Amino acid sequence: MPGVCPLPPEPVAILAAGVVTPIGGDLDQFWTGLLTGADGISAIERFSVSDLKVGRGGEIKKVPAPDERGLRCRASRLLCAAAADLRARAPLAADPARIGVVVGTALGGVEELEEAITETPTLSAAAAGLYDSPAHALARSLRARGPVLTVSTACASGATALGLAADLLRAGRADLVVAGGYDVLCRFVMRGFDALRSLTRERIRPFDRRRSGLLLGEAAALVLMARDADAPRWRLGRLLGHASTSDATHIAAPDPEGRGLEHAIRLALAQADRDVGAVDFVSAHGTGTALNDRVETAVFKRVLGPRATAVPVNSIKAGMGHTMGAAATLEAIMCLLAARHGVIPHTLGFEEPDLDCDLDYVPHTPRVARPRVSLSTSLGFGGCNAALVLEGSVP
Amino acid sequence: MSGVRLAGVGVITGWGRGVEALPPDAPVAAGGRAVVAATTPQLGGDRFRRATRECLLAVAAVQATLDDAVLTRAAVSGPGTALLCVTAAAYGSSNRAFIEAADAGSAGALHFPYTAPSAIPAEVTIEYGLRGPYVTLIGGAAVTIEALGWAARLIADGACERALVLAVETFAECADLFARDRRLLGRPLTEAAACALVVAGDRRLEVRAVDGGSELAARARRRAGETLACGPLVALALARAAGDDPWTVTGRWRGRTAALVDA
Repeated sequence: MPGVCPLPPEPVAILAAGVVTPIGGDLDQFWTGLLTGADGISAIERFSVSDLKVGRGGEIKKVPAPDERGLRCRASRLLCAAAADLRARAPLAADPARIGVVVGTALGGVEELEEAITETPTLSAAAAGLYDSPAHALARSLRARGPVLTVSTACASGATALGLAADLLRAGRADLVVAGGYDVLCRFVMRGFDALRSLTRERIRPFDRRRSGLLLGEAAALVLMARDADAPRWRLGRLLGHASTSDATHIAAPDPEGRGLEHAIRLALAQADRDVGAVDFVSAHGTGTALNDRVETAVFKRVLGPRATAVPVNSIKAGMGHTMGAAATLEAIMCLLAARHGVIPHTLGFEEPDLDCDLDYVPHTPRVARPRVSLSTSLGFGGCNAALVLEGSVP
Repeated sequence: MSGVRLAGVGVITGWGRGVEALPPDAPVAAGGRAVVAATTPQLGGDRFRRATRECLLAVAAVQATLDDAVLTRAAVSGPGTALLCVTAAAYGSSNRAFIEAADAGSAGALHFPYTAPSAIPAEVTIEYGLRGPYVTLIGGAAVTIEALGWAARLIADGACERALVLAVETFAECADLFARDRRLLGRPLTEAAACALVVAGDRRLEVRAVDGGSELAARARRRAGETLACGPLVALALARAAGDDPWTVTGRWRGRTAALVDA
């Protein structure tokens, strides 16, 4: 039967994390921002939005200066900034030939492609426009000479990348993998979502009765992963299981029944060798769109069964916007930090319950709780679904 | 750990359908053309009215694979089939089309979702009802080798019963950008869509980094031209047609060469 592993694969250790986000330029500021309900949404200043219906988003106003000289691609700079934060917390203690890089993105270096098309085309701009260029820039900055892979499962990319990284480690292709996701807020994507009419003029309200759409944000998030048996005892936690599946229903909208997402969750739990009773907490995709939040809620109720109303579910997108390729990695990191600190960040923007969204969405304030095993879900254009089962290290 | 075997391969290139259409020497046959464009498959049905050229090529390549494997659509639909899609550059044409349409004020609501690389495999999943493991990887031939290796692992782990490894590359719409890269001079960029159906078998394979490319990979490049991510799948088709061992294939991308080796 597909999805039932003959032997559950070994968990993979997640040693450390590094981020750059609209609510904080490093991991500590990100976590503090989640707990204090920091608002990273602002008027977009970096490019013109005067012709768009919505001109706000989670824009990072100051990207830390990269070590790499001549690194002008914003996506690469975000990745390198997250990597600098990561490296400040953990050494890359392995032969460079055994260090891999796996990152997920929805947009890659598209901003450079836009420049190459609309301005005087240069080879460097055209090459940077390839979606895997930022991953290779990151690998160069880390001096990593192992496998370098870019995953593009739209807004589920940051989860799929962690899963692929785990598989590379299990297959013995690398001893350490720097994995995660990124995306930049640029005119290309703002115009796209503007045309789709998915952006809200109000605040983002995941699972709330008044939810009216999403706002976009930009971020980069990376984790350092190693085989569990080879990893040092200090760690953020472990990736127990993962799965990515397709809806096979629509190019842009999720399956209204959420069958693909449900399948991904069940596959990930099977790989993790955990039943649903082990899940202490769910980090939802929670975009704040009418359909996504309803579909996710229905799927969680089917999967969790009678426990569904007792398991806290949150979304952290209201403070940062939907950071696309970075979102799922940020949410995975949040799950591990929740276990470490014994606090679950609340769902900013959730105030009024909806009849279709009737779970415990951690309203108003952070919740004192220590979720050992977390489930994190993501969805993306093209019917992409991803699920991660994570285990936090309890101090 | 179980192994795999190659159950079918489908190839569509700027030279035509199948490896039979490939010339003996692509640079000579190209006659100075920088891009050898593929004919857009004429797929019927209202569902495809918005699909991009690369999506249509992808669907046609998968159908050619099923034809080669003598399988029906029903045999691959459902959660038992994984789809691993690889492209280095095929999203460039839809990205450019969206940018130019948006500049002209003519971008429609569903124009933007087709700019995502994931739109290419999405049309395949919808067409064939594929609901198994699913990923899109960005990169050239070395990444396709990684995808073949991952397909083998998914099958060995029991995550799926079979895997379609699909690659698509289009170049015509961004030919002016590719023309700026002098490294591509003298070897035509050949548009292609290629797919391999990998099923359980007795060959246990894994991926390794190697220093040099295989003769099979060189033969595929000589016959087809530069097809980036499609190269290893064209090579599989050539080997299958000649009765050679297909798994000697290698792939190179951004200075890294990957090979499938016996585990």
